[in-house]
Amino acid sequence: MTIYLLRRLFLLGTVLLGLSIFAFSLGYLFPGEPLQNFSGLRYLDDSTREQLTLAYRLDGSYLQQYLAFIQRLWHGDWGLSLASQQPLLTEIRQVLPATLELTSYALLVSFFVGIPLGILAAIKPDGVIGKAISAIAITGYSLPIFWWGLLLIMVFAVGLGWFPSGGRLGVLYEIPPQTGFMLIDILLSDVSYRQAALQDALRHLLLPTLALATFPTTVMIRFVRDAMLDVWEQSYIKTAKAKGLSRLQVLYRHGLRNALLPVIRQIGLQFSTLITLAMLTEVIFSWPGIGRWLIDSIYQRNFPAIQAGLMIISVLVITVNMLTEILHTFFNPLARKR
Amino acid sequence: MQKFRLYFEENNRSPLVQLWREFARQHSALFGLALFAGFLLLSILAPLLTPHDPYLQADHLLLLPPSWSEQGLVQYPFGTDDLGRDLLSRMLKGTTYTFGLALVTVLGALIAGLALGALAGMSRGVKSSFFNHLLDLILTIPSLLLAIIIVAVLGPGLANTAWAVSLALLPQFVHGIRNAIAEQLKQDYVTAYRLDGANNWQVLTRLVIPNIWEKVTIMCSMALSTAILDIAALGFLSLGAQAPTAEWGAMINDSLDLIYLAPASVAIPGLLIFTAVLSVNLVGDGLKIAMQRRREG
Repeated sequence: MTIYLLRRLFLLGTVLLGLSIFAFSLGYLFPGEPLQNFSGLRYLDDSTREQLTLAYRLDGSYLQQYLAFIQRLWHGDWGLSLASQQPLLTEIRQVLPATLELTSYALLVSFFVGIPLGILAAIKPDGVIGKAISAIAITGYSLPIFWWGLLLIMVFAVGLGWFPSGGRLGVLYEIPPQTGFMLIDILLSDVSYRQAALQDALRHLLLPTLALATFPTTVMIRFVRDAMLDVWEQSYIKTAKAKGLSRLQVLYRHGLRNALLPVIRQIGLQFSTLITLAMLTEVIFSWPGIGRWLIDSIYQRNFPAIQAGLMIISVLVITVNMLTEILHTFFNPLARKR
Repeated sequence: MQKFRLYFEENNRSPLVQLWREFARQHSALFGLALFAGFLLLSILAPLLTPHDPYLQADHLLLLPPSWSEQGLVQYPFGTDDLGRDLLSRMLKGTTYTFGLALVTVLGALIAGLALGALAGMSRGVKSSFFNHLLDLILTIPSLLLAIIIVAVLGPGLANTAWAVSLALLPQFVHGIRNAIAEQLKQDYVTAYRLDGANNWQVLTRLVIPNIWEKVTIMCSMALSTAILDIAALGFLSLGAQAPTAEWGAMINDSLDLIYLAPASVAIPGLLIFTAVLSVNLVGDGLKIAMQRRREG
């Protein structure tokens, strides 16, 4: 196990190294001046230019420049946003929690809806329920999320007027940001309209979560269904049946435990898809998260922001993936052996 | 599936015929195949089929409603957009861009993936294990994010979208093909063939590739649905196809501000994207099940 962990850590280090080299080279790949792409300063007069060239080692070799780049990253000096001239790290700190909040709720929905439906579909795969669930799954799997989000807005926000069409919270309420997670912030705050604000926040959350959760939920249904059908064929299930266990006992004691183990790994894989889909969802529902921020940066040709956004999102995705992989190996003795 | 065969029937048809038989037993898969063939034909024949020029702006017919409503014209079945362009012609033309381009990107990624996957799969030891883990992690960066970054470097446009999407699809092809090859190389018949004196190239072309093409087809179907969704999504974010181009995602984005006046101009392209992806997924699922059943006999 220790050797395994060390190997994983080594791999993580290598990938982060590769990622940082890629991010560094983006400064040169992007159109425009490298100096501007690294610093994010919109106007450069001669003295600052000289100063920065010295600080960034732009006159030195690429290796020296890269080392200076890493040092800046380490000290939290990620440059300024070309659009707002604010430090990038502060901006990211403001938008990242919104995305994490949305994605974590969608992930939860995909578990609590996807896993039971998947098991249900696997019990009788050729029955009516099984076929219906599979049909729903493949439909949801094929929906383009931006269109699905628009449909939800058209029907539930514009047509029926049940839910707001965008944003995180109505303008009537003001909640002092502490963690950046809206629901937690509301619960932590001591304002008189806490209940009303909570309700409003939940109403704002519902449509984006539904749009975002559709794809992972259907993937989860298909995954759990296939895993269950696979496990159901194994000989230990036959043994359990032969021992005289009831169907439910076999399902619970032998079926579920083995079928649901790979689901842990699925969290990591789902997470990366979720982040991408969240970018589209945020654009449609004007959710102030990192996806919308990143796409706005592309429109504004805000290269330092694109660079920083790429690094943050990739590091996040890779770390989550690595953690779930390690967890999976920890819980699954079969994966440990290899 | 019946467990006991009443009549003994010798089944020695070619694998392809067996596969087709199992495939044709599934109604949903056949339906998907019909849709897929329809889209394929449309994407090739679109320029011949369009009733009007998709870029011609008829300024006396702005925002014409679809022909099923009272004010519609039968010459314009889906109506026109805010510049008086025929929506049906634009949808047909869009098949070439969204569906046809997705096919091309997948083909490109497949060819490059086969070459790289074969190189990686035939090598052994530390190098190969490291390569595999590295790909595992590159794979975790979602394809759309990768495509967005590539577009940000190259600049928006349809051709750049194609490059970006195929580059973004490449890691999953390399990874899948590498694993499939590694699995084949463990088989006894490969060892037997090697003992007969076959070199790497002969093993690859005569044993490995004929045995992995099924997996590769399924990979292609998955990649194709991703490619369609990614191209449309990039178009929707106006990072892909630019405004006048009749790409489905870009068309949705174009008509977003008209969603109250002409909901059909948003609904129909979306429905087309959905149908195209659905057809690919149905065919992919059908193939997967057919292959499984064929192996079980």
